[in-house]
Amino acid sequence: MTHAESQELLLDLAYGELDAERAALVKSHLQGCAECQQEKAALDEVRRLAAPVRELEEPSPGFDDRILQAARAQAKLEHDGNVGQVIDVAGSFRPLGVEAARIDAHGPVKARPAERRRPRWVVRAAVGGSVAAAAALAMVVGNTLEVRRNAEKAAAAPSEEYAIRVGPSAPASVDAALRDAEAKRAEAQAQAPKAEAPAAPSPPPGLREKEMPAQLRVAKRKAAAPLAGRGEGSGGDAPAKLSKDVAPSQSARMDDPQGNLEPVPTSERHRIASSPGAAAAVESAPAAAGRSAVASPAVAASGYESSAQQARHAGNYLLAADLYRRAADARRQEKDLGSAAWNLAHAVECLSAAGRFDDARQVRDELGRTYPAEATALSAARRALREVEPAQPAAR
Amino acid sequence: MAAVRGDASDEVLMVRYQRGDREAFAMLVKRYNKPVYNFVLRQLKAPALCEDVTQDVFMRLVQNAAEFKHEARFSTWLYAIARNLCIDQLRRLQHRRHPSLDQPLAADGEGRTLGDSVAAQHPSANAERSAGSSEMQATIIRAVEALPDDQREVFLLREVADLPFRDIAEITGASENTVKSRMRYALEGLRKALAAAGISEETAAEEPDPGVRLGRA
Repeated sequence: MTHAESQELLLDLAYGELDAERAALVKSHLQGCAECQQEKAALDEVRRLAAPVRELEEPSPGFDDRILQAARAQAKLEHDGNVGQVIDVAGSFRPLGVEAARIDAHGPVKARPAERRRPRWVVRAAVGGSVAAAAALAMVVGNTLEVRRNAEKAAAAPSEEYAIRVGPSAPASVDAALRDAEAKRAEAQAQAPKAEAPAAPSPPPGLREKEMPAQLRVAKRKAAAPLAGRGEGSGGDAPAKLSKDVAPSQSARMDDPQGNLEPVPTSERHRIASSPGAAAAVESAPAAAGRSAVASPAVAASGYESSAQQARHAGNYLLAADLYRRAADARRQEKDLGSAAWNLAHAVECLSAAGRFDDARQVRDELGRTYPAEATALSAARRALREVEPAQPAAR
Repeated sequence: MAAVRGDASDEVLMVRYQRGDREAFAMLVKRYNKPVYNFVLRQLKAPALCEDVTQDVFMRLVQNAAEFKHEARFSTWLYAIARNLCIDQLRRLQHRRHPSLDQPLAADGEGRTLGDSVAAQHPSANAERSAGSSEMQATIIRAVEALPDDQREVFLLREVADLPFRDIAEITGASENTVKSRMRYALEGLRKALAAAGISEETAAEEPDPGVRLGRA
C-alpha cells in the first residue's frame, strides 16, 4: 500500500470501517511510516478527547412515554380524524375499465394515464363544508357516481385493480382504535392467505359501523399507478426531502397495503380530508348516494385537526393555531377533554413558532385554567414557550 | 401479539411496526429517543427545542412508516429525518422575529444571553451541566458545538449516531470523500480548539471526573 493510499484510509481505520484485509494493509504501512503513525495517533487522541460527546445526555424523565403518547395522538388524528371527510372505497368489484377514482379535495388525483377512448368509470368525490358551517351546520356528504361503460374494453381491464369498500367509521377513542386494530389485525392475519403481501392489509384501525357517517374509501389493490395520496402535496415537508436525500425511490409509495395502527397508511388508500374552509361538492359512489350525515362536534373537530396539521406542516402556523383552537372547542363540546387540551397545546406551539408569543401565552394560560388535569399537554405548551419566558431563578 | 425481542434488529422492528405492531414501535422509540435527542441537542444548540424536535422525528416516522422500503438502514433513515428537521428548525430560528437566543439580554450587548437563560432553565440544557458537570467536558462539548455546521453535522452523525461515512454521505447528499474531508476538518478543528483551551490527553488524564472515559474509543 502506498503512502497516499494509507493517508486516504487512516480515518476509516480509526473508525473501524475497513474490512480486515484493508485494515491489515494500512497497519502494515503504518509500521514503517512515521508520518502516518503520527496522523493516526492524532486522530485517535482527538477521538478519545471527544468521548464526552458520546456520553449521551438523558432527556427529561418519561420522554419516551411522551413520544408514544404523541404517536397515539398522531395515529388518532390520522385514522379517525377525518370522519365524514375521508373517502374510502373498498370491497371488490369488476371495474369495467375503471381508470381511477377521481377524488377532488385538495387537487386532482389521477391514477394512471387514460387511454383516449378508453371507457371508464369516474368516481368523483369531494367534500363539502366550510369552517363556519362545519361548526354549526350539517356536513352533508353527497355521493354520485358517474359511469361510462364500454364492456368490450372493460373486460380487458384487471378485475382486481380497484376495489370499493364501504368503510366503517372511526372509533370514539384512541384506545378503542388500538383495540379494534389489534383484533382486526389478528383476525386478518389468521384469515389472510399466505400468498398475500407480507404487510397484509388489516382493516383501517378502529373503524366501527355504528358511528360512521357516509364514508367511502378508494383502495387500489395494485400499485401499478401511483395515486397522489395524502401528504404528497406538501412539497417542502421534511419527509419529502428525506426521501430525496436517502433514496429517491423511497418517495414512491409502498406497494403493500398498510392498515395498521400507528404507521400512517398512505400507500393504497386515498385519505383526503378537505380543509374545513374549502367549499367542495361531493360526488361519490351510488352506494352512498343520498346518504348524509350531520356533522357532530367530533366530525368538526376532526376536520379542524386534520387541516390544522396540514397547515402546520406547511408552515402556516397562524392558520394552524386558529384551527387547533377551533378543534379544541369542538373536542370540548364532545367532552373529549384530553384531545381538547392537546389541541390547545398545539395552538400554543404554532403561535410560538409564528412568533406570536403573547397570544401563545394566553392560550397556554387558558389551557392551564380550563384543563388543569391535562398535565402533559400543559407541559408541552410550556415547553413551546420556554425559550421566551422570563428566566426563572436557576434551580441548580 | 407476538412479543418483540429486545435484540431484534431495527429493520425487523420496523417491518413489524409497518404491520401494525405497536410494541415494535415502542422498542424503536426506546432504542433511539436518547441518541436522536443528543444529535438534535448538539445540532440545534437550543436545548429548549430539543425534545420537541426529537418528538417530531418520531412523529415523522409514524407519518412516513409506510414509505420506508428497507433500502436504507433504519437508523440512516431516522437520522435523515432528524437532520432535515434540524435544518428546518435552524432556518426557522434564524428567521424568527423574536430575539435570537444568542442575543445578549443587556442593552450594552454584554453578558448573559437569552440562550443562557433558557439553558439555565433546562435540566439538561447546556454543556456546563451535562455528563458529570465537568468543566473539561463542557469545554469539549462547546468545542463540538462551535464547529462549522457541515463539519459538526458529519461529526455528530459519525460520533453520536454511529453511522458509517457511506450512510452519512447518503443522508447529507455529499460524496463519501467530501464527508470524510469534513470529518478530518472537524477533528482537526476540535484538536486545535481543545489545545487552545489547554486540554490534552495529559490534562484529561488528571481530570478526576469519571465522566471522561479516556481510552474508550
